[in-house]
Amino acid sequence: MAPETILLDASHVSKVFGGVRAVDDVSMQVREGTIHALIGPNGAGKTTFFNAVSGYAMPESGHVSFRGKDVTRALNWKRVAMGMGRTFQTPSVFPELTVDENVRLGVRAHAGQAFRLRTPRGAAAAAVDARVDELLRFVNLAAQRDRLVAELAHGSQRLVEIAMSLSTDPVLVLLDEPMAGLAEAETDRIVGVIRDLRTRLGLTVLFVEHNMRVVLSLADRITVLDRGKLLAEGTPAEIAADESVRDAYLGEGVLEHV
Amino acid sequence: MKARTELLAASAVVALFAAAPYLAPLVHLDISIVSEVLVTAIAVMSVNLLLGYTGLPAFGNAAYFGLGAYGAALSVQYLGFHFIEAILVGTALAFVGGLILAPFLLRRRGIYFGLLSIAFGQVFYFIAYRDTDLTGGEDGMTITRPYFGIPPAHVAIHELSFYYIALVAFVLALIAFRSVVRSPFGRTLVAIRQNEARVRFLGLNSDRFIFVALLISATMAGVSGALFALLINFAYPLELDWHQSGYFVLSMILGGAGTVWGSLAGAFIYVIGKDIISTITPLWQIFLGALFVACVLGFPRGILGSLAALLARSSAPAGVDPNATFDAHTPSEVNVGP
Repeated sequence: MAPETILLDASHVSKVFGGVRAVDDVSMQVREGTIHALIGPNGAGKTTFFNAVSGYAMPESGHVSFRGKDVTRALNWKRVAMGMGRTFQTPSVFPELTVDENVRLGVRAHAGQAFRLRTPRGAAAAAVDARVDELLRFVNLAAQRDRLVAELAHGSQRLVEIAMSLSTDPVLVLLDEPMAGLAEAETDRIVGVIRDLRTRLGLTVLFVEHNMRVVLSLADRITVLDRGKLLAEGTPAEIAADESVRDAYLGEGVLEHV
Repeated sequence: MKARTELLAASAVVALFAAAPYLAPLVHLDISIVSEVLVTAIAVMSVNLLLGYTGLPAFGNAAYFGLGAYGAALSVQYLGFHFIEAILVGTALAFVGGLILAPFLLRRRGIYFGLLSIAFGQVFYFIAYRDTDLTGGEDGMTITRPYFGIPPAHVAIHELSFYYIALVAFVLALIAFRSVVRSPFGRTLVAIRQNEARVRFLGLNSDRFIFVALLISATMAGVSGALFALLINFAYPLELDWHQSGYFVLSMILGGAGTVWGSLAGAFIYVIGKDIISTITPLWQIFLGALFVACVLGFPRGILGSLAALLARSSAPAGVDPNATFDAHTPSEVNVGP
């Protein structure tokens, strides 16, 4: 597909909690092959928007289309089958299963084996094994494959979650604050993995992040939300120079040093 | 556990049960009580699949157990069916019961699943309780244990032969149960218990898995109920009651939720405990309750669950630091593309 293809198209998406318009008439497009950041102060509606896009919680109004199809009301597992993967702010993993089993569940799901009452053998099993190996090596967790995920460090759990969201062969990966709560070294590691998602796997990435150093170095495009509304959208340079964005972040000092 | 060790342990347990008719009299235990252990263990497994593995509060499995019991008893009483046929009818009735209830249950989670399960069970309880013409109502229905049914057809089933039938049924149920929970399907059930949202974000419709788990569970409870009715030659409304479901849940917790052999251990403690204590005092439930509390405090993961955890700890690789962070990212040369 041409680089200009629109993979994800959200138009006029709104989500209300009680009297609060958590997401208010937000429209944005994610183009294929880009790394797209979604930023904004706390409570801007970033995660709520993610939930609406991924089908975790349906929007009240507006439309979401993915790969040219309207998925506004599609159940989350159907969106995954269409090629959408996502991670959560708190790593959403199977804590009491091993790293290997976590990833294997996803690989089996994608291979149509999850419903089997007998463990497949032969070629089908070998294909699953090979894919699990590949994914574990991609996130560099092969050495920890037999450890329980609950025993892993926070950053490693995020990598397990990323490997799982890759196991279903997505074309678009939504990462919700992949660097939250991580030390510097761990952050660099995740940044490396996100770069690899595009350069080595050819995926499109939409991610939420607070760390502006990371956002400005990773993203091709940035969308800024503030109090549920779309505030600005543009290239990192445009966003860094945007007055309204500076105002929204005023007092937080995040843009002062860039 | 290593496959060899497990096979050895399993063989030892089955051999012990095969010798039970000779061992039980030594401890003044009636062999029909040991039959009840094996039959109950199948029902406990049915609860274990839903509650222990999938995390769904299966507080109404007595419904399927009772349907199995009444299916068997009614088919013997009114249709003159033989033993094997009666078991099949009871099982089929429980399966149909599961098929009817599953659509209502499969979207419920947590306490709502539990309450709705109890409510459905109570519906069956009151049907059996009120429909006195067919079921004998509160008094239940006494049946004469039928002949075996398949060649050699006209073989009467005495306590000893019933015991071995129950043992075969238990072993078959255990093998089926084990292969289900070890299969990709069973691992997905465990995954649903731990994090259903992630299962759905792996592209799986978790409701479909829960539907099938409900059907398997109902069928197993039905087998157990049918065998139970033919063991005591009696079917009565309390088999459908929520207390009965509670005993299954209790036994599962005692034995070890989410373990293959825990159901047998739990059924053993519950049935034998009830039998021994109830001969001493009519207040057996108090003592069984105390035993339950002691077990939960001492072995929070059940007898077998705690044992498995102990074994796992002693065989864990040394020198693994659970808090170790990963190494710096070093892109490898493998191609992971779709």
